[in-house]
Order: sequence, then C-alpha cells, then structure tokens
Amino acid sequence: MNSTLKRRALPRPSTIVTTVLTFAILAIAAVAIVAPFLWIFRGAISASDAELYELPPSPFPTEATLENFGKVFEQVPYGRFILNSLVVAGSITAAQLITCSTAGYAFARLSFPGRGVAFALVIGSLMIPLQVTIVPLFLVMSKLGLTNTLWALILPGVFSAFGIFLLRQHFLSLPRELEEAARIDGAGHVRTFFQVILPLSGPALATLGILTFTYWWNDLLMPLVMIRDVENQTLPVGLVLLAGRFSTGSLGTIAAGITLAIIPVLVVFIVAQRWIVQSIASSGLKL
Amino acid sequence: MLAPAAGVILLSFFNWNLLSDGRFIGLANFARLFTDGRLLAVYGSTAYMAFAILAVNVTIGLLLAVLLETRMPRWLRGFFRLSFLFPFVVSSSAVALIWRFLLNKDLGLVNFWLGEWFDVGRIDWLGSSFWAPISVIIVSSWKTLGFSILVYIAGLQSIPNEIREAAIVDGTNAWQRFWRITLPLLSPTVFFLIVINTINAFQLFAEPRVLTTGGPGDASRTIVQYIYDTAFGSFDLGYASTIGITLLLVLIVLTAIQFRVSRRWTFYE
Amino acid sequence: MNRTTRTIAAAALTAALTATALASCAPSSGSDSGEKTLNVVFWDYGPAAQTGNQATADAFMAANPDVEVSLTPVAGENWGTYYANVATLIASGEKPDLMLISGEGAEFIHANNLALPINDYLESDPDAAALVDDIAPGLIDGFTVDGDIVTLTNAWNNMVVYYNTDVFAAAGLEAPSADWTWDDFKATAAALSKDTNGDGTTDQYGFTWASNEIFPGIMPWVANAGGNLTSDDRCEATVDTPEVTKALEFLKGLIDEGIAPAPMPMSDVFTRFQNGSIAMFGAGRWPIGTFVPAGFTSFDIQLYPSDETYKTVFGGSGYPILQSSPNPDLAWEYQKFTVSPEIQEQYVGTPEAPGDSIPSLRSVASTISEVGVPPVSSDLFYSSIDDHDTLVPYPAPAKYSEFESTVLRNLQLIFAGETTIADGLTTLQGELDPIVACS
Repeated sequence: MNSTLKRRALPRPSTIVTTVLTFAILAIAAVAIVAPFLWIFRGAISASDAELYELPPSPFPTEATLENFGKVFEQVPYGRFILNSLVVAGSITAAQLITCSTAGYAFARLSFPGRGVAFALVIGSLMIPLQVTIVPLFLVMSKLGLTNTLWALILPGVFSAFGIFLLRQHFLSLPRELEEAARIDGAGHVRTFFQVILPLSGPALATLGILTFTYWWNDLLMPLVMIRDVENQTLPVGLVLLAGRFSTGSLGTIAAGITLAIIPVLVVFIVAQRWIVQSIASSGLKL
Repeated sequence: MLAPAAGVILLSFFNWNLLSDGRFIGLANFARLFTDGRLLAVYGSTAYMAFAILAVNVTIGLLLAVLLETRMPRWLRGFFRLSFLFPFVVSSSAVALIWRFLLNKDLGLVNFWLGEWFDVGRIDWLGSSFWAPISVIIVSSWKTLGFSILVYIAGLQSIPNEIREAAIVDGTNAWQRFWRITLPLLSPTVFFLIVINTINAFQLFAEPRVLTTGGPGDASRTIVQYIYDTAFGSFDLGYASTIGITLLLVLIVLTAIQFRVSRRWTFYE
Repeated sequence: MNRTTRTIAAAALTAALTATALASCAPSSGSDSGEKTLNVVFWDYGPAAQTGNQATADAFMAANPDVEVSLTPVAGENWGTYYANVATLIASGEKPDLMLISGEGAEFIHANNLALPINDYLESDPDAAALVDDIAPGLIDGFTVDGDIVTLTNAWNNMVVYYNTDVFAAAGLEAPSADWTWDDFKATAAALSKDTNGDGTTDQYGFTWASNEIFPGIMPWVANAGGNLTSDDRCEATVDTPEVTKALEFLKGLIDEGIAPAPMPMSDVFTRFQNGSIAMFGAGRWPIGTFVPAGFTSFDIQLYPSDETYKTVFGGSGYPILQSSPNPDLAWEYQKFTVSPEIQEQYVGTPEAPGDSIPSLRSVASTISEVGVPPVSSDLFYSSIDDHDTLVPYPAPAKYSEFESTVLRNLQLIFAGETTIADGLTTLQGELDPIVACS
C-alpha cells in the first residue's frame, strides 16, 4: 500500500516556473472553493447578522460568540435530526451496497431469459427522477402505513438504478477467468460472488457508498413530503426550519446549522478518502 | 421499487390534480409535449448547463488532479484534497442559499471584489439570461468538482510507474508523456466521470431553484424543476409524469450513446 | 421478484388507480369512545408555527374538555409547497377537519370543493354578529369566493413600506407622511441612494421589493396605479393594461436610475435593510418577528405612496372547515376560537417577542401600540384596512401558484431589461389567459 502512495504518478515539474505555477493554481482553486465556507463559519460565530453584509466585510466578527449553536438546538431538535439523517443515509447506503451488488452481479453474470429486457426495465424505471415518482411513492407508503416514519425515507432508497448500473459495469470489467477458476474449484455463484467478486470491488463499492450517503444525507424532497412529525425529520428539513418562514430567520443561526451539518460527513470523508483513493488505485475503476 | 415508476407511466395517461377525481385522457399529455413551447426551451437550458458542468468536471477536475500529484508535503496534499472536497458534502439548497447572497448583483461580495480588484462592472449573476445559467454552472461544478478530482487521483495512481519510467528512458518530455501515456490510460476514469456527471447534471434541481428560481424566463430552468413545478405548482400530475418519461428516454439514449462511442476511445489495459 | 416487491407493486398500481377515486378509502382517524376529535392541518414553517398552533389547540381543549385536537404539521418552504404537501396528504385518504390557508389559497380550495362555506354558521350562530362586527369588512371579503365565505380570517398582513429610521436621520430626511405620492417617494428614495464607501458605485439603495412574491412585490404599485392583475371575478388576466404598465415603468425606472438594486428574494432583503444598505422595502407585519428578536428596532412603517388612488393590499390566513370533516359543527367552534380574544392576543405578542401577523379583531389589534410592540406606527396596520379602500378581491385565481410563478418568471425578464415592458406584458398576458380562465 505504502509503495502505491509514494509512487509519483506524473511528470515532475522540471523548472521552478512550473512548480510555482502549479502551487499558484492549486492555492487559488483551494481558496476559491473554500471561501464561501469561511463566510459561513464566520457567520456561525458572529453575534451580529448585519456585519455579514458589510462591503467589504471585516475578516473577523467584532464580537465572537457560540450562541448561534445554542440557538440551533434551542429552536429545533437538531441532535435528533442528525441522528435521523445518520440512520436514513446509513441504512440506505448499507442496503444499496447489498442490493446493487447482487442485482448488478445478476445482470452481469447470470444468464436468464429476458435479462436484457429486465435490465432495461429496472434501469429505466429507477432513472425517473424522484420529483416525478414522489406522488405514487407517497401513496404507496401511506397504503403501507409507513408515512411519517423513517421507513418511508429508507425504503424508496433501497434500490438504485445508478448503483446497479455502476456495479454491473464494474463486474463486467472483471476478467471472467477468475470466476471460471473459482467454478473449477467447485464454487457456486454465491460463493464466487462473496469470495472472488466482492473482494475485487472495493473501489466501486466505496464510490457508490460515498455518492449514496451524501445524496441521502442532503435530500430535502423526501422528508418534506413523507414526514410530518418534527421528531422524525432529517437535517435538510432542519435547515429549512431554521431558515424560518420564507427563509427570514437569522443568518447566524442558519450558518451554525450548516456548520453542524457539515461536520459529521466531513469526518467520514477525512477517514474514508485515503482508503478510497488507495483501493480505487489498486484495482482500477472501469465501466 | 418499480411500483412508483409504473405509477408514473399510468399517471401519464391521466389528467389528475391530486384533489379531484382523475380523468383518463389517453395520449393527450403526450400530444401536449409537441405544443409545449417551454419544454424545448427548458431542455435547451438543461442541456447547456449539464454539458458545461460535465466539461468543467472532466477538464478542470483533471487539471487539478494532475497538479495535486506533483511532489509536495503530505499535509499540503491533504489540505488541498480536503478543500476541494468540502462543498461536496454540504446540502445543495444550503450552499445555493449562501451563493445567492454572495452573487447578488448590487450588494453581493463577488461583484464588490471584482470591482475592487479588477475594476469590473457589476455582473447580473442571477438576473440576466446570459449569466444566470453560468452561475448555476459555477455553483454546481464547484459542488461536484471535489468528487471528480478524487476519482481522477485514484485513476492516476493506478497507472503503473514502470510504463512512465520506460517512457522517460525513451526520452519523451512531460507533455508527451501526459498525452501519450497518462491520458489513454486514464480514459476509463474519464468515461466513468462522463457517465456519472451526465446523469447527475441532467437531474439538477436544488441549485437553480434556490439561486435563480430558473429565471430569468426559463434561462436557467432545468427539466426536473419544470417537472416539479408542473406537478406541485400547477397540480398537473399527469403532464408532469409525461415530461418525466421524456427525461427518462433522454437519459437512456445519452447513456447508450456514451457507451457505444466509448468503445472507440476508452483504453483498457 | 419476491413477494414483498410484488405486493408493493400491486399496492402502487391500485394506489395510482384508486387515488382517482379518493372517497373509497376512509381511514378512521376519529375515535368513537364518546370523545370528539378534530384534526387540524397547519403549515410547519418553524418553531413559532408549532408553538402557536399547539397553544391554540391546548386552549381549545381546556375550554372543551370532551374534545381531542390532533395537530398535523405539514412541512413546506413556502405556501405553495405546503399546499402541494397537503394535497398529497388528502390524496392519500386523510380527512382533516380544518386546514390553515392563506388568502391566495381561498379560490384554490373553493374550486376544488375542499372547503365548507361558513355562510350558514354566520347566520345561525348567535355569537357571529358581534364577532363579524369586530373584524374589518375587507378581511371577510378577502375570503369570499362567489358569495361563499370560505373562512374567518384569524390573522392577516397588509403591505406597508418599512423604512430604516437611522438611515433617514443620517440623510437628514423627515419621516414620510401617509399622503406621500409616487413622486415624493422617488425623491426620498433617490436621496437615500448613495456611495458610502467611496468606490464610485452605489452601495446604499433607497428602496427594493421582493422578486419572489407578488404581494410584497409589485401589487401595491399596480393597485395604486388603479390596476389589478386579474379582473374582479378572477376569470381574466388584465396585465397588458396602462395601469400595470405604469407601475412597472415606475419600478423599472428606480432600477435604471440606481435608486433600487436588481430585485432579490424577500429573505435577502431583511438583513440588508437592518444594516442600512437598503433604506426602504415593502412587506406585511412579518419582518417584525425577525427584526425585534435580533435586536433591531430602528425602523418604522408607512403606507405605500399613492398615485391614481390608494388601495390597501393585504393577505390573510384562516382555518377553513373542510368538506371531509366528520364534525363540521365542532370545526366551526374551533375556527371561531381562532378569532377569540384569547387567541388573538397571542398574535399581538410582547415588545421582546412580537407576533408576525396582525390580529383580525380590531379590539385586539388596537392594543399593539399600547403593549409597546414596535414599530411606533403599529396602529397603521389596522387603520389601513378600516379607513382606506382595499384591493378586494385580490388577484388570486384558483391556479394561484402557477399564476404567481408565471408572473414572476416574466417580471424577471422585464426587470433585467431583456424585454421591453410592453412586449413583456403582452407575452405575460398571453401566458396568463389559459391559467386565469374560469370554466
């Protein structure tokens, strides 16, 4: 692993000019990308909203405070929202890794009559954006008596066209010889899948995991429609509630809310990114 | 979970406003697609923004990923990577809200600094037909770029060092090596990003909705936004479902084309 | 496909089909243990909405011990998404007794046969006369559709001009008077627009209006120019008229002359008003609920300036009884309770935590200034609807959210200068014709 890390993948800049240019571009990009967050963090610890609008803004608040964070928890059950979001995004991610990998494998490797049609059907129907399917979805959930529970948020996310598609393509790219070797050793589809295929699929699964988690962590539409009780709401709705009627709430409080919403995902990323990069690098990402 | 999709197809044959009884109207919703003047405009805006976001992710993402692979202290590399990833983890509507404050024409920070530093006149970022889609492109690319960079880095690191070393022995310069070795070997990654970014960009919703509400006119409206407005603003569930089906077809066709074309240029070891 | 999936698929298909025949599936939300229940749907826009509605429900239950009130909070970023979510709720078979609506929703729920008009109750209920007497007629008219009174208004907002008193003082300007004209207004706004940091561009503007709503946006100007966006029966769009043109020319002129910034959504105006970069803007009473808790009190209000005429533009809210209610009589009691002095006093609020709308009862509204809730001129809120002409009926056709988004979409092009006012309004008229039409 370490040797992969130390390998330098690209031409070394031979001159000082290219080095300077490289770092200049990276620094400018980093600043440009992070700048809006500095404004948010500044807002989160600023006692006065009005200051945020001064032109030019002073880089530090005249009066720093942590009150905004307190207000977040005072106004809405934010801890509960974070927990709900973790449960929803976490369960969906776990479920998709299972369903998409098995379905993807079935579509990639098993031959059964009507496979092409079934694949087209699954991908097609799942590709319809949520904004379109939400009404039928709500009706189904209410028939099942699940609206207003976290299940109504989790179940619709259990399958994903994108995930099935992504993993199918990945499985197709794996050399068939591996499976044939396993078969000769007497392994059935199930064993081949668990012992040969999955271990080779770390990067694809990781990519799907990240995309799924961040998507559902940030989804606003589903909870807005499915959930009524405040206790069962998720973070994005929490932000809407903090923003108040027509988004006229205090910007400092909203900024504090955003800051709190960022932290858990960021921690996951800091921990996960190195592993993700390594695993993608070691086995490649192919469609 | 195919059921809701079946429901959508079913709904496309109905005239239903959620509150009163639905009426079966056959193919009338489909006929309406051809007389809907806004549909084409919205598809135009969607395609323009989607392809631009795609292009930014694929090109600038590559540039930054390549630059990140130059020799530098570990902490610095970590810092850059993390900075680039930051926007990816935040809710779209929250970041769009912040950008709306920053991009305000007369009282926003972006125009203020452009004026201070570069003496640029005030740009109507959110209000003009020319700039509004560009703002959506900037904000959406800003959000997704970090992920593309991450995938690129992984792709770059998977290129075996021996190949490059052999090329160095052959006396090639860095530029040649990039075009003749790195890029071809990276082509599966590029393809992967194209497919993902196309699907995501065509489903853009929160950013234009919060930033520009899709305006002015339909200049920055995306098709998903149009579907949502038709369903929940006009309460026309049937027609909204019909438009949804067109989007589905577009996505399927685009993905199929990408796969077909990719066989010509993606290079697998 | 396994069994669960098949069950779900079947359920979905039936759902999609039977959703077209809603009445078939009635969930039993009420209990039959002799205790009567009421299900009230409200817009959950934040903690204030929850506590307010809970307080009303608790007080009602305290006064009627045999009644159980269950509240159904419905989320939504604005009235439009709230209505969409309520519609989804109703489509799934829920049968609430009452639902909160805004004035723009009156025609919408009337057209969809959702509301039970209260005309009969107003005639037969002995309390009604005294109640109606204490409510401005405009508020009743605002919720009347084709002679049917959809609901009593529990709270409302009229559009007034907010001005930052510090900015006025710094510019050496007198407080505006109620009889100001458009010309006076423009001169005032121009005197308030300046370059405060000396970089050669304006960074303090005299006035702005909401780009994302029409009531606190263009409506007061259209109304005072003597026009309206629809005909009185709300069956015809009337935007390509000289009156609407005049209003838009005035507003576009403010932008062109650097007196107003490019229009922005209402929420973006709030903080900029507090820090003085916008000196005046228009809204109802709701900004006070944001300003005062934030410690900002250097503002006052005045009526919109008059032109050809002066008309108070307002919007209300109410809890109409729904047709689906199994208990309409009890629901009427609840609706009446929302306009009882006990509840109305909540909307007044305290000087530290003011309410965000105006009470409907004149007797209660008049206490705002006595209680000392800012701003100083709070009496203006109720007198504006009692003493002046009102814009009734207001332009809110049944397809209100489609109507509003169409108007706003076209206004964006006009205010960005991408189309002329004349062309823009012609296009808008064409687009509105099928939306506003009555069957």
